[in-house]
Amino acid sequence: MDSLYFLDLSQSVIDGVLFGAIYALIGIGFTLIFGVMHKINLAYAAASIGAAYLSLLVVNVFPAPAVYLVAALAGGALGWLIYLVCFRFLPLDNPMATLMSTLGMLLAIEELISHITRGMPQNFPALFASTNIEVGPYFLRGDLMFVFALGCVAMVGLLQLLKRSRLGLATRAVAEQAVAAQLCGMSVNNTNASTFVIAGFLGGTAGAMAGAAIGVLSPLMALPLTVKGLVVTVIGGLGSIPGAIVAGLLVGACENFFQFVRGVGERDIYVMLMLFVFLVFRPGGLFAAPGGRD
Amino acid sequence: MKQRHKIYGATLAAVVGLSVAAAAQAQEKTFKIYGFGAKSGVVGIFGQQSEVAMQAAAAIINKSGGVTLGDGSKAKLVVEYLDDRCNAEEGINSLRRIASQNDAVVAIGPTCSNVAEPVFGVLQKKVGDASDSGLQFPLYTDVAAKGGLASMSQWAFRNVPSEANMYKALFEWVKATHPEYQSFWGGVEKDFAHSNATYNVIKTQAGNNGLQVLGQSEWLLNDINFSNQVREMKRANADVVAISSHPFTTCGVLKEMARQNVKPKLIVGLTSSSSMETLQGCGAQAEGLLIPTSFAPVTEEAKNAAAAVQALNSKYNMDLHNAAAFENVFTLKELVEKQKVMGRPDTVQADRQKMRDGLAALKQTTGLLGKVGRTDDREAIKPFLFVQAKGGNWTVAHTPAQ
Repeated sequence: MDSLYFLDLSQSVIDGVLFGAIYALIGIGFTLIFGVMHKINLAYAAASIGAAYLSLLVVNVFPAPAVYLVAALAGGALGWLIYLVCFRFLPLDNPMATLMSTLGMLLAIEELISHITRGMPQNFPALFASTNIEVGPYFLRGDLMFVFALGCVAMVGLLQLLKRSRLGLATRAVAEQAVAAQLCGMSVNNTNASTFVIAGFLGGTAGAMAGAAIGVLSPLMALPLTVKGLVVTVIGGLGSIPGAIVAGLLVGACENFFQFVRGVGERDIYVMLMLFVFLVFRPGGLFAAPGGRD
Repeated sequence: MKQRHKIYGATLAAVVGLSVAAAAQAQEKTFKIYGFGAKSGVVGIFGQQSEVAMQAAAAIINKSGGVTLGDGSKAKLVVEYLDDRCNAEEGINSLRRIASQNDAVVAIGPTCSNVAEPVFGVLQKKVGDASDSGLQFPLYTDVAAKGGLASMSQWAFRNVPSEANMYKALFEWVKATHPEYQSFWGGVEKDFAHSNATYNVIKTQAGNNGLQVLGQSEWLLNDINFSNQVREMKRANADVVAISSHPFTTCGVLKEMARQNVKPKLIVGLTSSSSMETLQGCGAQAEGLLIPTSFAPVTEEAKNAAAAVQALNSKYNMDLHNAAAFENVFTLKELVEKQKVMGRPDTVQADRQKMRDGLAALKQTTGLLGKVGRTDDREAIKPFLFVQAKGGNWTVAHTPAQ
């Protein structure tokens, strides 16, 4: 193992950390919804990719940055739709109901994308794609740095929203004690719907970022992003936004690290082993959020 | 009174007219050719294109009067295509459903190599083996490209190009035209049967033609991050890079290569990637990508076939995948007439045997690029050429002597 090996190894980890920002954005969405409703939205990553596809409708009309804005808006709309179809009218005290409805929605979105696009990969515009920042012997991809920065901005923005706004207050109140929040005059349904919309904004942005990072969109992306998002959510701690950020970067880094040292055939084994280690030794995740009472 | 008579008369005429039309309809014979392949899911385009190509071929045949059955009557050719979603279990189910129909004497398909292998596995291995309860149903495959599959059963026949022959010819041509190319690096989609199997062929032929194989990068069909793999390519700095993967990951890798400024002298692709999906996903990055293929609209027959598909449904085009399905329909039509297939429910098993025997006896068929030879192990020797991505289109780079 020469110096080039360690250079490539460290570059690999850096690339993984930067790519992990996409996982972090997906993880934030999963954890945000879990934090409020104590339910997992399995369709979240698929909706994120769906939002990215919807943004392609304007790619020939508006400049590239507008495409990302449209993706975010489309994500918000899809988020609301998922809440309406998969959560609003379902018995929330049944643990399997929303799990199955969102699983069905994931499959439906994937199938719809495959059907409409006939499975053909779609070119996706990238921001700062040709920008590489050299730091010594290392290259930092400009587009991934942008995604990383966007993830940080999203985290700060989300935390500010939750801590300083009335919507955030309502979200935290409903998450902690839905009945009491309702007695205080807060609409639980409206708060939940708003949470899905906000998570959808993030998801749409994440979907667009994923498309931009790879350069193409494909329905094949929905399932791996769902799995990675869930892994990130569990490792970060269910309901913890800072945890989702850190876990996203950690999973991205570890994925690239294991791929470098053990190859693509064993990469996912080690990532799943890492998940199991957390489940056994730290089941609450890195930043376990305090539990709410029903 | 007269008015009432007029109404009665008109009504009677209408009833008689409808009866005659219905009788005529009932008398119109049909002969069904079944197909099955991926019509939905991420590779759904393969099956959709095959179905349209089969329908286009059937339309041409029907315009010329249809197919002549064993009793001398004419029948209209009808295509029915089942969806197996590129899934082995669904493929086997589709075949069993087709085989249970009393109007099914032959089927074209499947499209995916990972379906073809298990599907061929449920067929009777050797014709006439009473101890083998496998399905006795002839299959004439159009797309599934993994080498040597037809040898699994004497009921399985393929009209796919030999990738070993194609890549052998390609690397011989590269060696002849660019003797300065010395090194080779491979990229392979490890978890897909076709890309994985073909990569072994590519690597072997590269080595046999004087290129030093420096190594390979690997990824999976669902991967979305190729930075490690492309960095390995960059370090190797090979003259020739081969990417044996399907359009989504091919585009992902090509775009990452552009980001990391990896510019080999030549990039060779997988046969399945010589399609519109690659150009749609990454036309700019695919510039110069060289791929051997068994279809390009370079002959009158090929151009007419491509036009027929577009005329039937402008959403689809003709490529190497569905060109074979188009050819297969014509081959089967000729066999139905030559073998005097009766096309009746009470003769279905005998008809299947006739189709199988007819396919086995073929020494040559007519393809869109020229004559297609048949081998003893039920494979095809198809003419091929090399195409290269240029300006968002596939252009012919070279037609090797065959």
